[in-house]
Amino acid sequence: MIGGAWYPIFLREMLLFRRQLLRISYLFSAMLIPIIYLLTFGLGLGRMVQIQGADYLSYLIPGLVALTSMMNSYTWVANALNLNRLYFKNFQVFIQAPIQPSAIMIGEVLAGMVKGLFASGLILIVGFITSRNVSVTPLFVPTLLLNCFLFSSLGVITGMITKSHEDTATYNNFFILPMAFFCGTFFPVDRIPEPLKALVWVLPLTHTNVLIRENSLDAGVMISLAVLCLYAITFFLIGSRLIRDYSE
Amino acid sequence: MIEVTGLTKQYGNIRALDNLSFSVRRGRVFGLLGPNGAGKTTTIKILTTLSKPDGGRALIAGHDVVKESIAVKKLMGVMPQENNLDRELTAYENLLIYSMLHGVPDREAKIRWCLQLVDLWARRDELLMRFSGGMQRRLLIARALLTEPSVLFLDEPSIGLDPQIRRQVWDIIRKTRIEGRTVVITTHYIEEAEALCDHVGILDKGALIALDTPDNLKATVGEYIVEFVNDEGKLIQQMCKDREEANNLVLCTDCEVRIRRTNLEDVFIKLTGERIE
Repeated sequence: MIGGAWYPIFLREMLLFRRQLLRISYLFSAMLIPIIYLLTFGLGLGRMVQIQGADYLSYLIPGLVALTSMMNSYTWVANALNLNRLYFKNFQVFIQAPIQPSAIMIGEVLAGMVKGLFASGLILIVGFITSRNVSVTPLFVPTLLLNCFLFSSLGVITGMITKSHEDTATYNNFFILPMAFFCGTFFPVDRIPEPLKALVWVLPLTHTNVLIRENSLDAGVMISLAVLCLYAITFFLIGSRLIRDYSE
Repeated sequence: MIEVTGLTKQYGNIRALDNLSFSVRRGRVFGLLGPNGAGKTTTIKILTTLSKPDGGRALIAGHDVVKESIAVKKLMGVMPQENNLDRELTAYENLLIYSMLHGVPDREAKIRWCLQLVDLWARRDELLMRFSGGMQRRLLIARALLTEPSVLFLDEPSIGLDPQIRRQVWDIIRKTRIEGRTVVITTHYIEEAEALCDHVGILDKGALIALDTPDNLKATVGEYIVEFVNDEGKLIQQMCKDREEANNLVLCTDCEVRIRRTNLEDVFIKLTGERIE
């Protein structure tokens, strides 16, 4: 039973996701913020800016893909879990099923990854349409997968510890939003004032933004990879533990 | 089949369960009766592994609900008080996911059987958001039976149902009992407890204040109740051990009186001085 016990949880999310996709509001909300950023910073401000000798759009779009993967993986999992646990009570069906907590975790995280990858794919398509210089590096796809895994796991943690739906927005404002702006999505981290730099290098999205734009495996890249892996494993284990210890 | 010993549960300053003990034999229907907030749902949550007790122990078929929760989950079916079906999935999809979670063999046939049992097979491909409340309650009971559980937990099974649907749900529960399953029902409907349960435990403020068959419990207050309104306009209920005593009481009273048989609410009133609400 344990081997594929995650699958019904994943399948449930996919059945719901399939119906969400039929609603225009879903696609709109998944893409709204990155598209606004693309229009404002990329097509507006970006026409006047060059970064590392290249046009700004070719720098910005991989960052927007990383940002989108973070926001969608995290937000959909955190919101869904919070609502399912506190309001719809669907989560209790999983807890009462004869499966291991890790199976619930895997199912939720994989579903979050699919949502994150889907929205990222849409942004990438928009990126290819708006800029001819966007390149997909060899590390692009593995980094994206790792980022989605990491933030889906974080979404599970938030979904499990929040006491109300409003709490989810608080975590969003304090952790996700600052990462979106300061972690190398819109400008290189080395332009950040020195006192803040150390803090920014601790945050996972910074390392995703490093990896997603890199072509080769040097020491810096390996460190970023290790940091992301460490975050991913830690968040996954914490999420699994929270599910295991669930009690009403 | 079920052994509960000294179960306690505290939520902040509120003692939801206070040293609760009872046992249920295999194949019996056991009812937990009490007002809202008495601890019925908390008991069900602990027995169905959703909540961990602060003290005491509960065993189902010899398995500890905390330490051997997976083994317990394999034995039980649960109909929760709150509707936790997926409203954006169809009836069929809801049961499909549930059957996969519980490793039900021969899924297609079982789902068909369950949906036919509650007269929902024809509407299997409709989204639940289009189902009435009664249809969703029926689907919840079908889902609880999908795994053919040894123990069935029904938390307020007929809450919010119209009388006709309630009768249908009762028939399903009776059928389940005939099939040899152990059933635990929580309810605050007197007639439901009397109609379905072999044994009834009366809960008040987290404590079990009485436990016996419905007939034996009613016998503690007498067979008949004489009701009349006194000079101050207050409803008086006089418990009588038999019809003769009730008749004699009527002869002594010159106001309008009503004689009726006792029910479990009278037992509750005798024990607590309050009505079940």
